[in-house]
Amino acid sequence: MRSLVGASIVLALLAMIGAPAGAADLEAGRRKSEPCAACHGRDGNSTIPGTPSLAGQPVYFTHWQLIKYRDGRRKDPQMSPAAQNLSDTDMADLAAYYEAQRPRQRPAKIDPAKVVAGAQLANLHHCTSCHRPGLVGQQQVPRLAGQDFEYLLKLLRSFKAKTASDLDGMMTMSAQPLQEQDVLSLVHFMASLGGE
Amino acid sequence: MRRIILASLTAALVIGLALAPLAPAQQAQQPPPTWKQGQPASMADSMLAPIPQPPAPAALGELQVDKIKVPPGFKVTVWAHGINNARAMTWGDKGTLFVSSRVAGNVYAIVDKGGQREVKVIATGLNLPNGVAFKDGTLYIAEISRITKMPGIESKLANPPAMEVVYDILPRDVPHGWKYLAFGPDGKLYFNIGAPCNICIPPDTHANISRVNSDGTGFEYFAHGVRNSVGFDWHPVTKELYFATHARDWMGDDVPNDRFDVAAKKGLHFGFPYCHQGDIPDPEFGKGHSCSEFAAPLLKTGPHVAGNGVEFYTGSMFPAEYKNRAFLTQRGSWNRTKKVGFRVMMVTLRSGDVPKYEVFAEGWLQGEQIWGRPVYTKQMKDGSLLIADDYAGAIYRVTYSR
Repeated sequence: MRSLVGASIVLALLAMIGAPAGAADLEAGRRKSEPCAACHGRDGNSTIPGTPSLAGQPVYFTHWQLIKYRDGRRKDPQMSPAAQNLSDTDMADLAAYYEAQRPRQRPAKIDPAKVVAGAQLANLHHCTSCHRPGLVGQQQVPRLAGQDFEYLLKLLRSFKAKTASDLDGMMTMSAQPLQEQDVLSLVHFMASLGGE
Repeated sequence: MRRIILASLTAALVIGLALAPLAPAQQAQQPPPTWKQGQPASMADSMLAPIPQPPAPAALGELQVDKIKVPPGFKVTVWAHGINNARAMTWGDKGTLFVSSRVAGNVYAIVDKGGQREVKVIATGLNLPNGVAFKDGTLYIAEISRITKMPGIESKLANPPAMEVVYDILPRDVPHGWKYLAFGPDGKLYFNIGAPCNICIPPDTHANISRVNSDGTGFEYFAHGVRNSVGFDWHPVTKELYFATHARDWMGDDVPNDRFDVAAKKGLHFGFPYCHQGDIPDPEFGKGHSCSEFAAPLLKTGPHVAGNGVEFYTGSMFPAEYKNRAFLTQRGSWNRTKKVGFRVMMVTLRSGDVPKYEVFAEGWLQGEQIWGRPVYTKQMKDGSLLIADDYAGAIYRVTYSR
């Protein structure tokens, strides 16, 4: 506890000594996230089927996605206009705020047989190489564990169809060998993962 | 009758699909992601992975330019900053510096306004636009599968013209699909088509340096067996093509070396995937080949150093011995337990002797921590040297005075 307090004091001090533009501001991120709350939830845990939760997503992932919405590489009727007026600092603040929020597993009707099949597929397709064990994500790679079922399904189908925006081509390539039933099994598996 | 057979076939198929087990027991193990491909079982627990690109450039105060060490008499300053993922550079006729990026998807134009650099984004949302080249008032841009141009761009920076297609039938593979682009002394556009893998037998269309006329005609392969070269230049005197190549990963910390090569003529094969660094047969694909079948490297530049930029110095600001030296910019390793690279090297070619190879600028790597990754150089008109750092999103300027 003591070291935590110490650390926060150091952090607070660092924040006061004119933080460089590159350092994100959690409180500013919270304020800037207010317009996002209607869909993504106040703490980044969405309750709308089809809308992803952002809580616990790695900073680099959220920031890169916002850049792609702003420059048109990723398109969405809600997100594309929302990202147009965000500055790089806004994006960094938002990404930092969402990463700091605790992710909650989204409710879904999980088929246990598909979860078993999906877990095997995740091994065969090396999902954890980039998404890490437990599919918790890292760096520019998103957290998938406990994400919204409809959203995961839409995204994975789009990667298979080569219509999803892909920072480095990795997901489009990885999705090509998947059949529709594999996609379903994988999504059941990803949505079934809860813990850290 | 025919129709009945078809119908029963269809029925059989439908039943077959319905009965297909959910468990993917019969499915084969899929190839791992490209960066992990070729990793032997003995390294399965390795935590090494490519260094992710930050989504935003570093702030001016975060650029530790005083840590960059250069030879006596040289000085490094920040020339421009806040340029997300700044990579390759090319000069316009009127003094505009055009700068490429990779994952940021942008092309920038930088104009010097009374000692202040003004950075404009002239294209955005592009597909890894690493290649930029300029000729006769026109900017050429290379993305993964196409080369485009912007005629008259320098007088339209505030309102850039639409990109016109020059050549758009290049492979769409993303791994090693981003391109370096430059005009050769023959007026043709040269670019790489990298191997779509860490290690594999590439399709005949890949692992080469190619060229095409600036009007999109006359495509041809120039050099073969080149895993991925994202930096090359022509010798100021001999006009021969010199290029850097990234070597394969997952063979250990110390092999194979990246290479610096010369392709004095068209059609040479530089060994990939059969032979690495001129003397190490590939453990899997080397069988049945001898390294002597292939062009040997002019210089082994170090394991995993990630040799990107190649530029011969032709200016007069630096001491006389710098004339015609090559600057090799090394973006630095990820597939090595102790980091190497993150520096600018220089090569002095010596007739009848091995090239002299020494450090020109280093310091982006401090211990095992990096704060930047130098990726390309570009000489300025006055003979000073710009160094682009794609990790920190900055461009530094190296000057010399005695």
